Amino acid sequence: MAEEISYDRSLLGVEHHIGTFPITADMILAFAAATGEVHPLYSDAAYANASEHGALLAPPTFSNIFVEGFRRPDIQLAFGEMTLFANQAIEPLAPIKAGDTLEARTKLQEVYAKTGRSGTMVFMVWETSFMNQHGTTVLRVQDSFVRRNRGKQ
Amino acid sequence: MNTALYYEDIAIGDEIGPLERTVTLEQVQTFLAIRSTRPGPTRFTDEAQARSEGLPGPIVPGAVNTAMVAQLLTGWSPTIRLKKLEVSFRQVVRHNTLLEIKGVVTAKQVVDQEPQVECDVFMENDEGAVHVMGHAIVVLPMRSRES
Repeated sequence: MAEEISYDRSLLGVEHHIGTFPITADMILAFAAATGEVHPLYSDAAYANASEHGALLAPPTFSNIFVEGFRRPDIQLAFGEMTLFANQAIEPLAPIKAGDTLEARTKLQEVYAKTGRSGTMVFMVWETSFMNQHGTTVLRVQDSFVRRNRGKQ
Repeated sequence: MNTALYYEDIAIGDEIGPLERTVTLEQVQTFLAIRSTRPGPTRFTDEAQARSEGLPGPIVPGAVNTAMVAQLLTGWSPTIRLKKLEVSFRQVVRHNTLLEIKGVVTAKQVVDQEPQVECDVFMENDEGAVHVMGHAIVVLPMRSRES
């Protein structure tokens, strides 16, 4: 049975601007080094510059560098002691290139509880879209975080 | 980079990968330093902090795991475009765990003139425990349209 969850429901569906992010070649190369990326369009500046794109491309999951750093609104969730990343859906819509500047907007899509063998968990689902300096939406991301109580150690 | 694949080359049941990855503390630090949002100890880099949050030790950020699963698809062929990737994080990934990332084609169809291939994707450790599982849609060119 669904459990009543206490949180700031006024945030549901309300879009928030959460940052402006210049994307540099160094950031893309660091992302490649951190994730073991070897695709030359994402990891070899000379190759990418000579390609039809004319610049190093950000891999489709590049926006994940922001997952931990976003200043999302505090939903005042009165439940649980620890938060973990539960699910993610990424929808690349257009290339992101070194030199682009992205604007990120996010909204709280859903908050719901599930009870399983390890007890009750509360899921918070955020949908974030990234627009480049030309006004093109380049990426949509849905991040779901689970809040639960700590298990016995 | 692998050879150019076309929609006609793909069959349901085709296997993708595997791709092997092992993520070190240094890689995690590099990832977090891109934004430098948390210079202090985190659950991703520090044993004590991770344990204080109820974790068995420092873990690989889920964001890095998604990136590695995406590499399975973007590295499959230079002709492939990732249209959508959905993943669920089933178990945390500790540093230095040998990971195998693989997939299987589950469907193919042309949607609004776009040749799409659907795949299930998995990240497992060397004991077969699934850390990440998900579903993806990729787009490939059609050989018949290029001739």
